[in-house]
Amino acid sequence: MEDKSESVITLVIIDDEPIVGRRLKQVFTKMGYKVEIFTNPLEAVKYMENNPFDIVVTDFKMEEIDGMEVLRRAKELNPDSRVIIITGYAKPETAKEAFKSGVFDFMVKPFRLEELKNAVNRAAEAQ
Amino acid sequence: MTRFIQQLADRIRGAISKSSAQTSVDIREKFERFKKVLQCNQTALEIIADMGEKLSGDYLFDRHYIETTFDELSETVLKCVHRLNTLCDNRYKDLYEVYEHIYDRLLQVLKGRDDRHGPPVILLHEITKGQFPIIGGKALHLARIITDLELPVPPGFVITTKAYHDIIFFNGLEDSLERLERLLGSHSATDDEIEELRKKLKQSIMQLQPTRHLLEEIELAISHLADSGHEVSRFAVRSSAREEDMDFSFAGQFETVLNVQGSSMEIFNAYRTVLASLFSRHVIEYRRTVLEGEGQMSIAAICQVMVDAKSSGVLYTTDPLNAASDNMVIVGNWGQGEAVVDGKMPTDSFILSKKDGLKIVDRKIARKTEALYLAAQGGLEKRNLPHELQNKACLTDEQILELGRMGIKLENYFKHPQDAEWALDPNDRLLILQSRELLIKKESDIDRSLLNLEDKYEVISSGEGLTAQQGIGYGPVKIIRNIREVDDVPEGAVLVSPRDSSVLVRVMKKVSAIVTEVGSPVSHMATICRELCVPCLVNVTGITSKVEDGMEITVDAEDRKIYKGKVKELLVYRSCQSMNVFASSDFRLLRRLLNEIARLNLIDPLIEEFRMDRCETYHDVLRFIHEKAVQELIELGKDEKRLLKGHLTKRLELPIPTGILCLDLGGGISKEAPEDHCEFEHVVSIPFRALLKGMLTPGVWHTEMMDVSLRDMVTSMINAPADALDGQYSGHNIAIITREYMNLSLRFGYHFNIVDAYCSDYPRDNHIYFRFLGGATDITKRSRRARLIAEILKASDMNVKTKGDVVTARMGNMPRQEMERILEILGRLIGFTRQLDVHMESDSSIQLYLEAFLSGNYSVAR
Repeated sequence: MEDKSESVITLVIIDDEPIVGRRLKQVFTKMGYKVEIFTNPLEAVKYMENNPFDIVVTDFKMEEIDGMEVLRRAKELNPDSRVIIITGYAKPETAKEAFKSGVFDFMVKPFRLEELKNAVNRAAEAQ
Repeated sequence: MTRFIQQLADRIRGAISKSSAQTSVDIREKFERFKKVLQCNQTALEIIADMGEKLSGDYLFDRHYIETTFDELSETVLKCVHRLNTLCDNRYKDLYEVYEHIYDRLLQVLKGRDDRHGPPVILLHEITKGQFPIIGGKALHLARIITDLELPVPPGFVITTKAYHDIIFFNGLEDSLERLERLLGSHSATDDEIEELRKKLKQSIMQLQPTRHLLEEIELAISHLADSGHEVSRFAVRSSAREEDMDFSFAGQFETVLNVQGSSMEIFNAYRTVLASLFSRHVIEYRRTVLEGEGQMSIAAICQVMVDAKSSGVLYTTDPLNAASDNMVIVGNWGQGEAVVDGKMPTDSFILSKKDGLKIVDRKIARKTEALYLAAQGGLEKRNLPHELQNKACLTDEQILELGRMGIKLENYFKHPQDAEWALDPNDRLLILQSRELLIKKESDIDRSLLNLEDKYEVISSGEGLTAQQGIGYGPVKIIRNIREVDDVPEGAVLVSPRDSSVLVRVMKKVSAIVTEVGSPVSHMATICRELCVPCLVNVTGITSKVEDGMEITVDAEDRKIYKGKVKELLVYRSCQSMNVFASSDFRLLRRLLNEIARLNLIDPLIEEFRMDRCETYHDVLRFIHEKAVQELIELGKDEKRLLKGHLTKRLELPIPTGILCLDLGGGISKEAPEDHCEFEHVVSIPFRALLKGMLTPGVWHTEMMDVSLRDMVTSMINAPADALDGQYSGHNIAIITREYMNLSLRFGYHFNIVDAYCSDYPRDNHIYFRFLGGATDITKRSRRARLIAEILKASDMNVKTKGDVVTARMGNMPRQEMERILEILGRLIGFTRQLDVHMESDSSIQLYLEAFLSGNYSVAR
């Protein structure tokens, strides 16, 4: 992150595995982002309704609402936000649909953390 | 997925019974089959390596990945078994059963049921890696301290999770337990429902009836300890919850029962209390909130000989209140450590500085009026301390420093500050009772401090290389230019090496990080780095010329940055992370699965027992298959007439008399070669050409007859196999080659040499395996030559094992040029040492010839 103190970028991370969220928080905090983590996507949406946010990293498959729904709500709340969807089960039509709905990146597990870092950095630059 | 594999196995078996009447197969067909075995084997190893790489902490993956990859791997391994049988006329049919057995066990791991297999009781000092899933996290930690660090730990035994499941079943509690697990996993369960069942279960556990078998096993363990001379009248019984990270996460929530009488029944009663704590209210609450979705819990118990401690306490390998300092803290009191842990009595505290050698920098001696000691009727009792002890330090300076040294070892080994419990036994021996991660509270300004470190510290390397294992390490640089320097690596150093080598594994437990110029994140070394959590970067171009010995550096393998000096901010950051951050349930599952897949028990076909029934993992099966396939071809190679008839072989004509016959499986010899023979220029097999180049180095190969004494001659005739004595060369020197592969079997007079190598543009596929044995002289001279060969191989960065006159060496995961370099050395070595054994008159010859070889002075061997 080149941008320093004056404009901190807020990253919302949603993953139903709490440990994954904690790990990502650690990584992105170290890189200078302000990070909010959620295991429940509905709570994340509630947060986004009440707080400014810039980038959303969300798991695709979740119990309450899926990553596509998170993407739609995030875009409604902040059309400039960048949403990255992570999934372990990639169907081509899902990816296609996600891109149609304005997803910034669609990443299929397994991947190196580095790739996610790059995607987030690119999203930040695009802000 | 299971059904699919099952069907495949059945189908293949059916096919075998039909084709087993097969007669001798065309040789070219044999080669084709051999190649198929190798290909399949390679694919399987690649999948294993890929899975291993996912554990570097640098990947995000999920259960879907684990399951699909596991299926793919199982299918490939099964195919390998089948292809070996096709090659070897079904001589290894039993391997199907071995495979199925392993496959079933792996399914148990996938289902999270791998804590149910194995012995119910294991002696603490005899725990093997295969038993890790059933001993729980705390015992695992202790087992590693005992075997890897060799620190003194009170002897004892573990009642395993297998015993736990047995006892639950024996007492008919498995249904209620299942129900509780289901409730805990469901979002709709009410607090009352859970609470009611929890209470009931806890009560039932307190009344558990022992099985006779368990009592006998406990009895047996106690008598083993007594036989080894240990005092077994009193024990301490502690919990060891499943898996290290989980156990860590539960720190302090389970019961410990101290000073238990050393009888099976008393120990069982204490064990019951420990088990019941799994169903205490706060543990269940904690599982629901913090460890949600973690699945079934099981618990083991550690029963250790109770130390009648003179004094005891706690050691923090980093000052928890000042993580940025170089300090270590020891707290203690007279008697038992519970007084210290509870914080109810005044304690002595000692501060040690780790900087520039260990020294005591501060001590606060409290006035201690009372302490806890073992009570005659069991448990602990408070006693008043005699006047002379009240103001005296509970450790001498010497003991404080010794404890400090242990602390440094623990911290370097576990790559994280440790919180260890220690005790001083009646013979003034310091013991480690347990050690776990020290929790340091994160200060809010840490994250900010990590920004713009580049402005504060000189960056040596940034963004270079690949992460083999994440983490942060700091220490003085030790560059390993020659593998022989490995043993001089100081405690806590950052190892910098031109290449990745499994030899480095030897010192891994004491280094703080590893950086290599060449290497791969899927190598054997990288795998061990992950096992031991050693931060490791590979492929960092030019690093050996950017640092020098003794220079202090900080390696951040997470962001792939290397800084000059000590970056305190990063070290504080590291201290504040806890290990379970890495350990999502998927991560832990893959780690457990891989432990059962990749652990290698069959290491050396020559030195260890290399039998089918010793295969415990997929890796063993693959290793076995590879070896047997190669052997099959070597056997084939001996059948000279058959080979020549088919025009598949060519005599290799060299200026030196090697008597080698080449079997080209494809792409090993150029088409320009005449029909019946070939010369060096025709050899295009990458590994074979490199080796021959070495053999043909001027001066290396000398043909003069050695002056063999009568005694040497007689010895050799007694020891050499009958067929070695007639027709020295025919059919014994054979090179099976392809463009990228070589399997060379050489017999010169009375010694044997095998070089098996794969050498391609993909470092991950490459390997060299070298084996040497025998000789015409007596065992002393032969062993000397073996030692000389071992020394030369070590100097060439190979991983070497010697036993008597047998030398084996291996290396792998290296780029092509590196492989060719080593093969060329091996070629020279084979020529140079061919008849050297007769010259090995004394031990000093070893050094003499080693230096001669390394300096290229080959004439000395004449």
